[in-house]
Amino acid sequence: MSDRSPGVPLPHANGALTGYRVLDIADEKGQLCARLLAELGADVIKVEPRGGDRTRANGPFFRNEEGGESSLFWWTMNAGKRSVTCELRTEQGRDLFHRLVGSADVVIETGAPGTSKSIGTDPRMLAKINRDAVVVSITNFGQTGPARNLPATDIVGSAMGGHMYLNGSDEKGPLRTTVPQAYAQANLQAAVGAVIALYARGITGGVGQHVDVSMQEAMANAMDNAQQTWDILQINNRGPGSGRMVSGRQGPRYIYETVDGWVAALSFGGLMGPASNAMIDWLADSGEAGPLASPEWRARLEVVSPLEEQEQKLVVGVIEQFCRTRRKDDLVRGAQKRGAGWAPVYSPREIVESEQLDARDYWVQVHHEDIGETFIYPGAPWKLSGTPWKQRGRAPHVGEHNEEVYGEILGIDRDEVASLRRRMVI
Amino acid sequence: MTSNGSNGKVSPFAGLRVADLSWVGVGPTVAKYLGDHGAEVIRVESATSVETLRRAGPFTENKPHHDNSGYYANFNSSKLGITINLKTEKGKDLLKRLVAISDVVTESFTPGTLTKLGLDYEVLRKVRPDLVMISMPLFGQTGPWAQYMGYGHVLQAASGFNHLTGWPDGEPIGTGVAYTDFLVPHVGALALVSALDYRRRTGRGQYIDFSQFEGALHALGPAILEWTANGREAVRLGNRDPEAAPHGSYRCKDGRYIVIACFTEKEWEGFRAAIGRPDWTDLERMRRKWSRLTEQKEIDRHIDFWCGERTAAQAFKAMREQGVPSGIVKSPEEMHRDPQLRHRGHYALLDHPTMGSRTYDSPAFRLSKTPGGPAKAAPLLGEDTERVLKGLIGITDEEFTELLVEGVLE
Repeated sequence: MSDRSPGVPLPHANGALTGYRVLDIADEKGQLCARLLAELGADVIKVEPRGGDRTRANGPFFRNEEGGESSLFWWTMNAGKRSVTCELRTEQGRDLFHRLVGSADVVIETGAPGTSKSIGTDPRMLAKINRDAVVVSITNFGQTGPARNLPATDIVGSAMGGHMYLNGSDEKGPLRTTVPQAYAQANLQAAVGAVIALYARGITGGVGQHVDVSMQEAMANAMDNAQQTWDILQINNRGPGSGRMVSGRQGPRYIYETVDGWVAALSFGGLMGPASNAMIDWLADSGEAGPLASPEWRARLEVVSPLEEQEQKLVVGVIEQFCRTRRKDDLVRGAQKRGAGWAPVYSPREIVESEQLDARDYWVQVHHEDIGETFIYPGAPWKLSGTPWKQRGRAPHVGEHNEEVYGEILGIDRDEVASLRRRMVI
Repeated sequence: MTSNGSNGKVSPFAGLRVADLSWVGVGPTVAKYLGDHGAEVIRVESATSVETLRRAGPFTENKPHHDNSGYYANFNSSKLGITINLKTEKGKDLLKRLVAISDVVTESFTPGTLTKLGLDYEVLRKVRPDLVMISMPLFGQTGPWAQYMGYGHVLQAASGFNHLTGWPDGEPIGTGVAYTDFLVPHVGALALVSALDYRRRTGRGQYIDFSQFEGALHALGPAILEWTANGREAVRLGNRDPEAAPHGSYRCKDGRYIVIACFTEKEWEGFRAAIGRPDWTDLERMRRKWSRLTEQKEIDRHIDFWCGERTAAQAFKAMREQGVPSGIVKSPEEMHRDPQLRHRGHYALLDHPTMGSRTYDSPAFRLSKTPGGPAKAAPLLGEDTERVLKGLIGITDEEFTELLVEGVLE
């Protein structure tokens, strides 16, 4: 046992997944998946090369100072895990790793199909070492098929997964979301696969299985109804995103500029359909409903029916004018009060300042004792009544838990750990 | 549907029953995960207030009808469908009897709706003590926004996706889809299946208060910490990336687009080789990534020109052969024809009584020992009411007729 008592991860005795052990050798496609399992209670061990995982070099960095322990990407994706180092390119390193695999319930890996044999992380090999383990492989296109070995990053997943086509504009072309969503989708859908496979151990006699996740397919599942629209109507839904096209029909714009930013609103801002009269009254109160206050227009808008292009322009124009002189939070409150589903366009700062999240006590203070500071992190994605979610502290330093993990799990004493370190295995 | 999936293989959730009271996108997609992996999911609907997506297209043969909607169908594969009017006393009683023989309840009503009906978790746990129940409205059960209504395309705005999607000098246009509807179901399903696994091992059920908003924020990457730790706000960058150059989408001769991303020097060298190592790539300021990052305008101009002389397929081939991360921006039509997706069988073809043979989205993963996937087309409105009431709940023929006449099953 180590006499060092690292501050992280914080214990989580009553999580839904407490008692499970997860090994994480994943890149951007799997680290969030593993972190969420840690927050549900699993003991997640990040296995890194001696020099630190490649993604520790992903920006942005704390105070913009690049370094192995200052990546905000790393902090975000690896909070609450333990870290051990292990050189998988050495035989002894592979041996150590395989012994850890022997104790794991889940292994999450993101190696390109067929390339991981030499470093001992091939999914079939792992299954042989521990038949009870759930091996989650998250790759660009899946383990099989003609594209399985194509190199890809987030934007490739967004393109080949059909998502970018649904956004952008005729002049500027397709558009990606700046914060990587193909990676996010692959992570989240992989996590569902992982827990389904854990659940399935109840009927397989405790035997694990391979969960083969494709980033392309994960993104393909985010095409709204474009997939069915093609299948049924042979129409390609497409951008621009500001006027969502669904079911083959181009909608009117749904975002409107305000004094202090933007708001998002239902189709025609709720001025069409059940809330229309209340909404028109609101506009009329300040004399801004224009022709829409007339009985003819009210009757026209009360039922949801297609509008001519000129009529659409008029309605949208009225909403645009109304929004331009008002603040977004006031607009949202006003519209919601009248039964129309509006929401503000929020930036990260505004999200952190949100009254709703504050009222629900969402944010978590995470102490970084190593730099003597505390930062606000996103909080519980769900409130589980019996097995509460828990943020488990900051992300680990490179190899921070070597003694602890190799000692506790593999029974390797401190001298031997020191020797492994000298021999550059860990 | 059946206790064992197709091909005689075991399904993970065989023997599990789900009363799916949810509607529109998020809730039904969470329950679809359970159905696609062998649970008996009973979608409880109402004929007096027909589910939004049954009234939204695309409709087969362009005929609007509540049994023709592709939008509805895709989220409701592998489910049975019953109709009960929960505003009637007998309807409430039926639901309680269904919950008594179910393991899971999923719902996404505006908070308070089930309490008003006398059917919230506190009530339902009395008829089924080990129940796992998940509520998943937009903003959670409490707080000033709890009653707010909306759909995924406005929730994506509140949760930052509009702010982070668009060109740097342009409006926050968002993702082009009701994005959170296709993001948060996975977050919700993770909690639900984890709670089920806990129940499998301990026998204990529980209640999950899931706020779609709170779940969505975990897909913003480090953008939150960029603000809380650095005091800097992430902004939308078009197709650029703060850490790669080149990084973007480029129009080719045939009007299609390809994307190219070079994060590493190796990828940059591959890119150079792919375009024939023109002189501009050898300029001093192009030799290091940190310096290329400030030259993206010029780099993009060169790539636009190079792509303009090639079809997307030719440009993609050149990149691919040099190991450069790149791809074609695929339309829905191309997605359906994509050889990789075909190989993976991503779009499951299922026969529907009125819609015919239609494609359904599959999970993004393949399970080697307990494979899942859409097993049955979406139910017609009330298709299985009689079967479920008589066969599972134990309603007699006479009682059933009485319920029908009284309008309880509408």
